[in-house]
Amino acid sequence: MKPEYINPFVESISQIFDMMLHTRLQRQPLRAGPTRFSRNGQTLTSIIGISGEASGVIALCFPRQTALNLASRFLSTELKEVDGQVTDALAELANMVGGSAKAKFELDPPPQLSLPTVVEGCDYKMRYPTRSVWVEVPFTSDAGPFVMELTFSKS
Amino acid sequence: MKALIVDDSMTIRRIVAKALANVGITEYAEAANGLEAVKAAQNDQFDVILLDWNMPQMTGIETLRSLRAAGNKTPVIMVTTEAEKARVVDAIRSGVNDYLIKPFTPEHLAEKIKRLVPLSEASGQKSEARA
Repeated sequence: MKPEYINPFVESISQIFDMMLHTRLQRQPLRAGPTRFSRNGQTLTSIIGISGEASGVIALCFPRQTALNLASRFLSTELKEVDGQVTDALAELANMVGGSAKAKFELDPPPQLSLPTVVEGCDYKMRYPTRSVWVEVPFTSDAGPFVMELTFSKS
Repeated sequence: MKALIVDDSMTIRRIVAKALANVGITEYAEAANGLEAVKAAQNDQFDVILLDWNMPQMTGIETLRSLRAAGNKTPVIMVTTEAEKARVVDAIRSGVNDYLIKPFTPEHLAEKIKRLVPLSEASGQKSEARA
């Protein structure tokens, strides 16, 4: 994955969190490979795919409490349990990050977005697209830490 | 004054409903995909439709084309992450009235609605409908 592809995703997620969650993100140094937060299933990952003139996958990986804090801010209501409201909010975050970031490349025809999926737990590996190189962009915020896992390439 | 909010995300439907309330539109129906939206528009009269693009079963652009092909002239605002120029042009050619790119603030949405619908009629509506 080319380093110049990372910034549009970082800019997009920062803008979305600032505008819709009133949350300022602090980006941490890039990492390679999966280093999720816990091994007890208390992680939620919101995944969306991009296909077409560009292809890739974005996975937003949240510790449970960060997910609850962000969903609460998104919906302007305090959420204490992971339910359909929380997963819907996380799915929409991935949707917005994917859409906003792919638009920054202004490809014609525009790449397609998949529908987002939310995975609970962390004992899994993402292996698609084939031969893809994944990078991790960790963030901290006053809602808690999370990681954006990313693979992206243009045809 | 009645709005139709079309988005597969309950989160966005709730945020849009709140933004509508800020401009005095408290009567609205919801649809979670294009098929539900087309059905709702056949059965009810709306003053504005807020329409997502990426949805299961029938996308927003397909919904828009279906509405216009059926002669529905209700003002439609696309509310979507699809921000490429090609997408916006496609929506305009298909009959959209305005285009709001996510992320957005309630103020952004209010501005778009005020341009399209006579909001003086909006006050006093308290009932809520769901498709």
